[in-house]
Amino acid sequence: MNRRAFDRGRSACGPLRAFAFLHFLLVALMAPALAAPTPAVTSTVELRDMQTEHGPVRLPDDWSRTRPGFQGVAVYHTVFDAPSAPPGELQAVYLVRVCSNYELRINGRLLERGGSLREPVTRNCYHSQLVTLPEGTLRRGSNEFELRLAGYPLERVAARQRAGGLSEILIGPEDRMRALRDSQVFWNVTVAQIIAATLIVLGVVLLVLAYVRRMSYLAYFAAAAIGWAGLSARLWWRDIALPNDLVELMIWLGFVPVAVCAVLFLVRYAGVRSRKLDAMLWSQCLLAPLTYAMAGPNHLFTLAAVWYTALAAEVFAGIAIYLWQAWRAQRQEFWPMAFIMGAVALVLAAEVGIQDRVIALPNVHVIHFALPIIFCAVAFRLIQTFAHALRTAEEARIHLEARVREISAEIERNFANLAEARVEQIAEKERKRIAADLHDDLGAKLLTIVHTSDNDRISTLAREALEEMRLSVRGLTGKPVRLADALADWRAETVSRLGDAGIEVDWAGNEELAPRTLAARAYVQTTRILREAVSNMIKHSGASRCSVRCSTDEDFQLVIRDNGRGIPLELDGQLDRGHGMSSMKQRAKQLHGQCLVESGPGYGTVIRLTLPL
Amino acid sequence: MKNILLLEDLPEIRSWLKALVGQVFPQAHIAESARVHDARQQITAMRFDLALIDLGLPDGTGVDVVTALREAQPEAQSVVVTIHDDDDHLFPALQAGAFGYLLKEQSRDQLAEQLHRISQGEPPLSPSIARRVIQYFAAQAKPAAPLMPGVTLTERENEVLLRVAKGFTLPEIGVQLGLSRHTIADYVKQIYRKLNVSSRAEAALEAQRLGLFRR
Repeated sequence: MNRRAFDRGRSACGPLRAFAFLHFLLVALMAPALAAPTPAVTSTVELRDMQTEHGPVRLPDDWSRTRPGFQGVAVYHTVFDAPSAPPGELQAVYLVRVCSNYELRINGRLLERGGSLREPVTRNCYHSQLVTLPEGTLRRGSNEFELRLAGYPLERVAARQRAGGLSEILIGPEDRMRALRDSQVFWNVTVAQIIAATLIVLGVVLLVLAYVRRMSYLAYFAAAAIGWAGLSARLWWRDIALPNDLVELMIWLGFVPVAVCAVLFLVRYAGVRSRKLDAMLWSQCLLAPLTYAMAGPNHLFTLAAVWYTALAAEVFAGIAIYLWQAWRAQRQEFWPMAFIMGAVALVLAAEVGIQDRVIALPNVHVIHFALPIIFCAVAFRLIQTFAHALRTAEEARIHLEARVREISAEIERNFANLAEARVEQIAEKERKRIAADLHDDLGAKLLTIVHTSDNDRISTLAREALEEMRLSVRGLTGKPVRLADALADWRAETVSRLGDAGIEVDWAGNEELAPRTLAARAYVQTTRILREAVSNMIKHSGASRCSVRCSTDEDFQLVIRDNGRGIPLELDGQLDRGHGMSSMKQRAKQLHGQCLVESGPGYGTVIRLTLPL
Repeated sequence: MKNILLLEDLPEIRSWLKALVGQVFPQAHIAESARVHDARQQITAMRFDLALIDLGLPDGTGVDVVTALREAQPEAQSVVVTIHDDDDHLFPALQAGAFGYLLKEQSRDQLAEQLHRISQGEPPLSPSIARRVIQYFAAQAKPAAPLMPGVTLTERENEVLLRVAKGFTLPEIGVQLGLSRHTIADYVKQIYRKLNVSSRAEAALEAQRLGLFRR
């Protein structure tokens, strides 16, 4: 497959490499098994047929097929013609897959040893190898090729990727071979490393978030992501000072808690909480080593394959539960998550297929980078959802705060009003008490004088005093009076009194008044003025008709006009006291208004009262 | 007029009022009383046709006597005689069933004239009292008090009330509406009656509600 990415016209410099990555991504995502042969590049030699101590094999050689159960070092021999190359060009051998470690000799000369060939054997299964041939290594014509390969039987590893085997071998110009090797390592190892680092960062962030917000599903997700990132160390950690059996066992067992966390994340995210389910899932972490202890190291692969299938099935079930819940409760969450989960299911299914040998072992392992990317996508989605919830909560909080502020302001306002009302109430109560005292005491005494005095003047004075007292009390206790009401009272009293005295009254203007109020004091004083005017008219004017006009603009105006004889000149001033003119004027002045009296013998009297409103 | 109750705590005023009542109703028997307690006893002891009741008394308010008389002898006319001319004092008495009011400081002739009119079925009605009555019935008509048994004013009664509230005198309203002085007086009597009926119903409901709460 590598030859496909490697056409004649290209040189293996930087930009081309980037193109090659892209190409590889496409190829890798579309079909993991792309081993179809394509026409050989003239300057590259491909070694396919090998001699071994077990007879001839054709590369790629899969030990589980050609030498089942073999563990140790296998030797591959062949003779090949050196590729035609311009003089001075450096040549290299590219080994796509050597599992687990190798030693390369050409023409009897040891060129490379990938690490230790003895237990613990260096783990190069995911690392494509490039062996640069020193100048003069290759002879013109035929060359001897010898490769010693140390590896483990399929039974003793937990994944097919790490079972002993050798891929096809390319010999060609060093730069092209290096490009191929770099690309292969990039996709199988570097990408996984980058993503693993990202996953760890993301996982830690989510873990902190989960701790702070007490969200268990986030914690499970973070654990699964971190666990997966940790397990991806198998791709690049080549020299582990532990026996192979132990390392394989650890890798396999490592997947169990990761899968459990993934399932728990899905289930929790779907809102399902069940202690029984949790216990069952976690019990697998104990069950797995137990089954290993029963089966023994020689059945590791079968055991692991069964476990992988079971764990994948659990994840599928978790996905199904989650999607079912999302479909019912959060439809907008369903489609993006269904897409992501579908991808997870596809990748897992492909990997299970590879392990179960339904699908041939590809050179690029999609699961190594596809699944972490999916992890990242889910994490992104989770954070997005969380951020959205946070924003909503923040908005709700701001709204609530505003509401609380509003309500406290209202309460304060109400309280102030209440306090004011309370003060007003107390003042009112006190005024009422004073008024009642005045009535009961002073009122009763004046009343007694009114009705028991034989002297008319005294009883009249007492009656007037009583009226004064009553008006004073009213000014003391009264609330503001609507102007219309005040005029109604005045009208009724005036019309009634003048009517009784046989004076015809024409009162107009009540209807057109603006809706204003009069302070109690103003009401009382105006009542006195009006009463006085009416009394004067009855007593002195000899009028037969009277007109009253009221109007409001800036001020309130009352004009009382009679057709009587007016106030005689000689009386004006001297007898003013008796006519009460000065007291009328005095009262108007107290209210910051004025009371004008126009009179002349024969013209009648006009009283103009103007009060500010 | 045969039996008249006179409730007044000030002796001078009482005797003065007694003379006045004797002048208006020469044949009447006048039972005097200076306290709420005495008046209540007299109400149970004998029947009255008319009662002149002062509001501020040493042992209570005359309103209670008005209420008691209204309950014991519905046909008796209660007239409030008071020094208070404001509706705050008069309105409760009218609600309790008083049929009119006299202001004490008026001259003997004025009082005699008014008493005569009241006994003839022509109670006075001032603008401020009319406004209070309007407010009262408006509050009753509100859906907030749906339990209140409906005693409503007729359109004509309302018309009269509104005109009084605007400051027109009863004779003026009679001219405006083309009604006789008697008819207008009848409307005013009806207004007083309905005010009393409605107020009593309200009081009864209030008592019932308090009773329910107490239970």
